[in-house]
Amino acid sequence: MTSHANHRRVAPPGVAGKYFTFFLGPEEYGLPILVVREIIGILSITHVPGTPPWMRGVINLRGKIIPVCDLRVKLGMSPVTTDDRSCIVVVQTQEAQTGIVVDRVSEVVDLAEEAVEAAPNLGVDVRTDYLLGLATTGGKVRLLLDIDRALSSADIAKARSLATDLEAQATP
Amino acid sequence: MAILALTEACRRISALSTGDLDGLAGAVAMIEEVEPVSTVQARLLDEAVIALRAVMSGAAADPRATLSSALRFLDTAALIGASGAGAGLAAEDASERVSSEPDAPAAFSIDEDDRELVSEFVTESLDYLAQAEAAMLVLETHPEDAEAVDTIFRAFHTVKGVSAMLGLGPISALAHRAESLLTKVRSRELPFSGDVSDLSLAAVDALKALVDGAAAAIAGEPWTSPVGLEKLAEGLASATGLRLDPRSTVQTEDAGGPEGGGGVGGTRRAPAEARARGDGPTPALAGTAPRTDAEGQSVRMRTELLDRLVDMVGELVIAQSMVRQDPTLGRGDQAELVRKVAHSGKIVRELQELTMSLRMVPLKPTFQKLARVVRDTAQKSGKRVALALEGDDTEIDRNMVDVIADPMVHMLRNAVDHGIESPAVRLASHKPETGTIRVSASHSGGSVVVTLSDDGAGLDRARIITKARERGLAVSDGLMTDSEVYNLIFEAGFSTRDEVTDVSGRGVGMDVVRRAVQALNGRIEITSTKGAGTTFTVRLPLTLAVTDGMLVRVGAERFIVPTTSIQTSVRPLRENLATVTKHGELLLTRGELIPMFRLARLFAIEGATEDPTRALAVVVSGAEGRCALLVDELLGQQQVVAKSLGERVGNVRGIAGGTILGDGRVGLILDTAEIIALAREGSGDREPHVALN
Repeated sequence: MTSHANHRRVAPPGVAGKYFTFFLGPEEYGLPILVVREIIGILSITHVPGTPPWMRGVINLRGKIIPVCDLRVKLGMSPVTTDDRSCIVVVQTQEAQTGIVVDRVSEVVDLAEEAVEAAPNLGVDVRTDYLLGLATTGGKVRLLLDIDRALSSADIAKARSLATDLEAQATP
Repeated sequence: MAILALTEACRRISALSTGDLDGLAGAVAMIEEVEPVSTVQARLLDEAVIALRAVMSGAAADPRATLSSALRFLDTAALIGASGAGAGLAAEDASERVSSEPDAPAAFSIDEDDRELVSEFVTESLDYLAQAEAAMLVLETHPEDAEAVDTIFRAFHTVKGVSAMLGLGPISALAHRAESLLTKVRSRELPFSGDVSDLSLAAVDALKALVDGAAAAIAGEPWTSPVGLEKLAEGLASATGLRLDPRSTVQTEDAGGPEGGGGVGGTRRAPAEARARGDGPTPALAGTAPRTDAEGQSVRMRTELLDRLVDMVGELVIAQSMVRQDPTLGRGDQAELVRKVAHSGKIVRELQELTMSLRMVPLKPTFQKLARVVRDTAQKSGKRVALALEGDDTEIDRNMVDVIADPMVHMLRNAVDHGIESPAVRLASHKPETGTIRVSASHSGGSVVVTLSDDGAGLDRARIITKARERGLAVSDGLMTDSEVYNLIFEAGFSTRDEVTDVSGRGVGMDVVRRAVQALNGRIEITSTKGAGTTFTVRLPLTLAVTDGMLVRVGAERFIVPTTSIQTSVRPLRENLATVTKHGELLLTRGELIPMFRLARLFAIEGATEDPTRALAVVVSGAEGRCALLVDELLGQQQVVAKSLGERVGNVRGIAGGTILGDGRVGLILDTAEIIALAREGSGDREPHVALN
């Protein structure tokens, strides 16, 4: 245990708690449950001309217009092809409510502090600051998102292969 | 404390005999310590010192007369000091109304428990101060209006009482001084004119700034005091003290003593203030009571709640129309359901009207501000102007009130500075010395019409054309109609004034006015008769919450084009189309070639009609001129509730906002002026430039 703890990277304090998890492509991501406002089916999204590709458009959420982002595009994957399992997760960011298209909703997990480690530093080319940390439970790796950073317009697409690499390491 | 030293010097000299050399020397020393606030005051002080020295050296032929002339010089100097403080503050105030002394945090903060009370106080006292300001302007023209004096007095009194109760020291102190001054006016010891009115207005401004500061303090910001507060307080105190009759001066001396003028009002009114502190609510209630009687019962409400209510009802209307358009109802076998839906629809529409009327407020407060603007501008430019206000009970969406205030202020300043001639010129052209500016508001077919007319010199067609040529604008004297020429004054940087004044003539103004009016979906027109005056007519929609729009289809996408910017729509004929270069398409309509842009290309939309003769050209006009937008189909006109797309989507050029369409989807509202600019830059086939956060 001690030797194992030695090469663990310490996760930032306060990461323990309930996480809402979902799938983007093959990877499972987690969001702190408190930022998740609601989960709705795919409404018809109005595309706004001239916005970047990861901006899917805007929807009518009970009379409020909120933007919908495609995190897969943001993370450098192919766009979500929506099916009957796709959802829009409405999150509260610092600025406003924002929708995120996800492939599939997974579950709500309670993560203890020791289950979460800080995101690895993979060199200057790969940004990992949009991650709160990595959760390894039951042989699965979940990427915990800092939603404000993940949705900031800076390019984080280079992180694309990170998740797969880590998955490979975690399951020997 | 310059003023106080002066008053003290006056008092001493009047007690001196011509032979008392020591006393005279003391007075001279005292006067020389005074720092003059203006050159006039400095000269008066010099004269006084020269006279006093003459008495001392025995050079004066009639020492007694010379001494009393010195006294007169000092007296006058003290008065200038008083008005100087007021005028100085008013001038500073006009330029930086909101500025506060940096790094001057309040000596105290607002109690957690008092926050709610303070925020109520803020709303209420701003109300009172606005009433006081209006009453002051009335009083300037009708000095005998006792009711106006009472209104001002009551405002200061209530603000003082409540602020003292809440422990807002600086506010109650200033309100107290202003009240003391008004006591003098009320008892007819002082006339409400000149210095007194300047000081009172300055006091209202300073109190407003202080109250605003208190509002900010609730939000946790440090409370700073406005610039020049001490000067003003001094000015108020000395104006109150100076004209005291000899008996009360003696009283003051006994009670206040060396504290001087600051203590004059303070000491005398201390019992009243103690009462106000002791049972604070009583004076406040006493002040409120008559108003409540006058206005009936009302409820104060947070504006964001009201806005949300209006929004939600807007949604309800749309949701209800979705129910009404449901195919189930159209089948014909649901008569009972159709009846019920129709009934609920009626209720929903009534509800919408009712909620919209909740947000309508009269233009009165806005108009009252204008009176102040006219007064100040006329004073600065040395003109005599009377303002006539009509229809100030006309109601408009409260969200628009603030936005229209600025352009109206601009126009009024212009009318005073450019429109109305100087008194001499007016007399020479057989007009009354005092010019009149008439501002009126009325409802006319779903819009609010505000007209602003002056009886000044009128616009000078020849001069505008000369100026326009100088600025390189394309003009032709022969071909342009008067109204086309007059519209040139809305061009950016246009001014026919040769000299730049403090008030206007800097070439900013009318273009700002037009832009502001257009941003509100409004229109502005000018008519003018040389020598007889100019009239500006501003037409504004009743509310910004609901816009008339034309729903158009481009490919699979739908957009809303604001109806106000649409001139016409035509199906282009082959012979009316021209292509200038590779990209620029032109359309001949009503004898004019205008650029034509394809929305589908501009917004990279697939599946739109490629052949223009099978599409529709919507001719829109904006500040940039006319152009045609090619769309596939017009889907019909509808009222839309405009909403922001939110910060994350950012400022997308060409899109003014979004709205919820009848089917619950979001429709995008086009910003036609931006689209014209966008299309010109990209010649219609480049990717639109997008500004993102």
